[in-house]
Parts: sequence; C-alpha cells; structure tokens
Amino acid sequence: MDNSICQVYEEIQSLEEEIKLLAEKYEDNQHESTFFSDEEIVMSIKSFQREFQGESPSYLKAELESLEADLSFLTKFTGIQFTSHFKKTVEKTRNRTVQKHRLSGNCHSLSFQLEFQLLEMQNKESVSAVITDLSIIMESGEDSDMSKFVSSTEEHGNLLTFFRSLSSYAEWCEHRRCTFLHFK
Amino acid sequence: MEEGKAYSLNGVFAHLEMLEARAHEAAVKQEETEQQEEKLARLKARVQELRLQRDELRAKVERQEKGQLGKRGVMSDPAQRSAQAVLEWKIKSIKATLQVFYLTGISGKLTKRGVCFCISTAYEGTYLDSYCLDLLIKPEVRIHRHSVPVFIPLEQIAKKYLQTDIRRFLSVLSDHLNAYAGRRYQADQLQEHFSDQIEGTLQRNSLCNLLVFNYNVSSKSKTFPFKVRLLYGDLCCSLPTEVVVSCPPDPPASLAETAAAHSDLFRRTALHKAFRSFSSADESVDGAP
Repeated sequence: MDNSICQVYEEIQSLEEEIKLLAEKYEDNQHESTFFSDEEIVMSIKSFQREFQGESPSYLKAELESLEADLSFLTKFTGIQFTSHFKKTVEKTRNRTVQKHRLSGNCHSLSFQLEFQLLEMQNKESVSAVITDLSIIMESGEDSDMSKFVSSTEEHGNLLTFFRSLSSYAEWCEHRRCTFLHFK
Repeated sequence: MEEGKAYSLNGVFAHLEMLEARAHEAAVKQEETEQQEEKLARLKARVQELRLQRDELRAKVERQEKGQLGKRGVMSDPAQRSAQAVLEWKIKSIKATLQVFYLTGISGKLTKRGVCFCISTAYEGTYLDSYCLDLLIKPEVRIHRHSVPVFIPLEQIAKKYLQTDIRRFLSVLSDHLNAYAGRRYQADQLQEHFSDQIEGTLQRNSLCNLLVFNYNVSSKSKTFPFKVRLLYGDLCCSLPTEVVVSCPPDPPASLAETAAAHSDLFRRTALHKAFRSFSSADESVDGAP
C-alpha cells in the first residue's frame, strides 16, 4: 500500500513540474512572438492612466519608468545601444534552458549584428551560462584586423571579450575623430 | 471448589479480554487500511485532474506554435492588446535587454544614491562569477559596498581612476577580475579533467597567479615526473610570464627537449588546453590508445 502511495506521489510531482514548464513555455512563446511599437507603448501608457486613475496599478508605469531609466543610463555609460533583440526559447527543462538570441546594435559609431545560443544550466549552487554558435557581423567588416578579431572571437564564443574590445576600440575611434575635428 | 470457580471465571475474563483486544486490533487495522485506500483514491483522482490539465496545456502550446509558424508580429487576439498586457510585454522586453548587458561585461542598476554596477567575468564562452560595486555619487564618487575579493587591488585602482574616469576604473577592474577568473578557471579545469596526469596536489595562491605542481610525462612507455612552476606576473593577463619546467636529474636528451617544449607551450597556451594537446600527442606517438 505504501509503495503505491509513494508512486502516486511521484507521479503527482512530475505532473506538477511538467505543467509548470508548459505554462512557462506558453508565456515565453507568447512574449517572443509579440511586438509592440513605441507608439503603441505610449498609447497604452496613456490609456492605462485613464483606466486606472488614482488606483494602485500605477506600479506598472513606475516599474516601466525605472527600467527604462536603467537601460538609458547603461546605454549612455557603456556606449552600447541595442537597436533590436529577438529571443527564442529552444529548450526548457528543469535544469536546462537553451535560448537563441539575435541582437543588433551599435557601440558608439560601430554597428554590429550578433546571433548566438545561450545555454543556462542549474547545478547545485549556481546557474552556469555558456555561449555557443556565436556569429558576428560588423558593418566595417572589410578591415582585415577587424575580421581576424571577429573570426577568433566567433571560434571561441568570446562574447564578453568582443564587447569589451569593441567598447575600447570604439572609444578610441571617437577620441580620434574628436581630435581630428579639433584640428579642422 | 470455590477456587476452581474463581480460576475459571478469571480464565473467562482473560479470554474475553484477549478476544476484545484482538477485535480492537482488527478494527484499528481495518480503519487504517480503509484510510489508506481512501487516500490512494483521492491521490489517484488528483493524478487524473493533473493529467487532464497537462494535456490541455500541451494542446494549447501546440496550437500556439502552429499558429506562429512564419509570421513574427502582431497578436491576432484582440483581448491581448489591453493596455496592461502591452505594458507588461514592454517591461518583460526591457528586462531581457538588461540581461544582455550582463553578457557584455558591465551592467548595472540606478539606486537612490548612485549606481550599483555589476562586472561579469568569462573565459571564452563560459561565464564565471560576477562582482558588484555599489557606488555613491554625492558628494563625490565613492564605493559604498562591493563583492570584489580582497586580493584584487581595488583600492589602488580606485585611487587612480575612480574620481576622474569611472569608465576607466571599471575597465581596469574588469581586466583584473577577468584575468583572475581566467587563471582560476584554467587551474580548475586542469584539476577536473587531467587529475590522472597530476602527481600530488596542485598548489596555488588565492590570486591564482602562482601555480606549482608535478605532472607525469610518458616517453617510450616510461613515465617521468616533471615539476612546473608558473608565475603570472601581469595581473591583467591569464597567461604566465615566467615558466620553469624541471625534469628529474640525468634525463635522457629527448626528455630535456620535451621539458623545453612544454615550457614554451605553457607560456603561449592556456593550461588546460596545453594538457589536452599532450593527451592527443601521446595517443598519436604511442600508437594504440
């Protein structure tokens, strides 16, 4: 009797987990296949304020403003601006999430387009993140040094190094541009 | 005669007690079994409920994925376009973009009195630990709290750059932290994947810029113990500046050459990659795996 009760408990647990993952998958799919333009966002904020004048759901507007402030600050500070970001969850189990990302943006005046897969694994104490299948397209791709840098980065999945190097290179380019302007 | 009667009366009582006890036990057992059966029945009913819920969700997700083939874009379901849903979508999107900043190495969040920066570290495609700094900006920029390890020269770097160029400060700190994380990663990988080639323990300091260990080199089906000392003089670099590989006394000529070759390899290549190349070289030299 105890054995069968044990088995049933196990089945309940596994079903509850499956349901949780399916619900998350539905939410993720919903989010990832949606796109609202900036005008639609502004209109929504206005209609939201009309709907809930004075009531508590202004927390959503406050959260949105706080997040936008953070993003705006980081963009100004690092010089890295993301103009588009598409994300697709390819696999999601209890311990493992794989997402495909497509990013485009610029670092000061240098434009880039990236695609990569991000594998996140939950081990005992922490979450590990690994980049694979990194593909980089730089606007100024004809520069041979740049293309050497890009292929080496792609080969090792060196996303972090890419951004840090891009950042300092772009700042140097800016600096040089300003210096030349000064002498014009 | 009296005694006999009393005895047999006692006997009857005892017998009755025993029968009562047995009946009680049986009743308790019966109740327990019934309770267990009820419980099992309830649980089985719950399993059915959950199975139904799971199947419905599966079908919902399947329909959703079929409907999304090809088109990216607008939600067809008008109910989804409520202002609240739009705002929630936007919030989720911005959070996802902020997470991407984590992958770039510098991310952060505005606080009431300043900024909390987060420096992430990685070795090639693997992200390692991240370190936070809570900065206050008034009356002057200063570090309120941080999670930078004590052996990283944070104060020196802050003294030099924090007041004049915060970007430079973070960049230099990031160089130190990434180099440290890279050195530590190499040593960890060595211990994890090549422990069979290492004799004894791998000695390292907390900054992971001094490594000393012994490893086995096989040549012509004999193994020789090599000792290596790696010093990483440049704290912003994850390759050593000084390598000393020593082989046992009176080595055969080929072994001395191998020691020199290894010394050169360790100077140019990551530690775990160097060892990986040994294993594959060994296999090709000895023939059979």
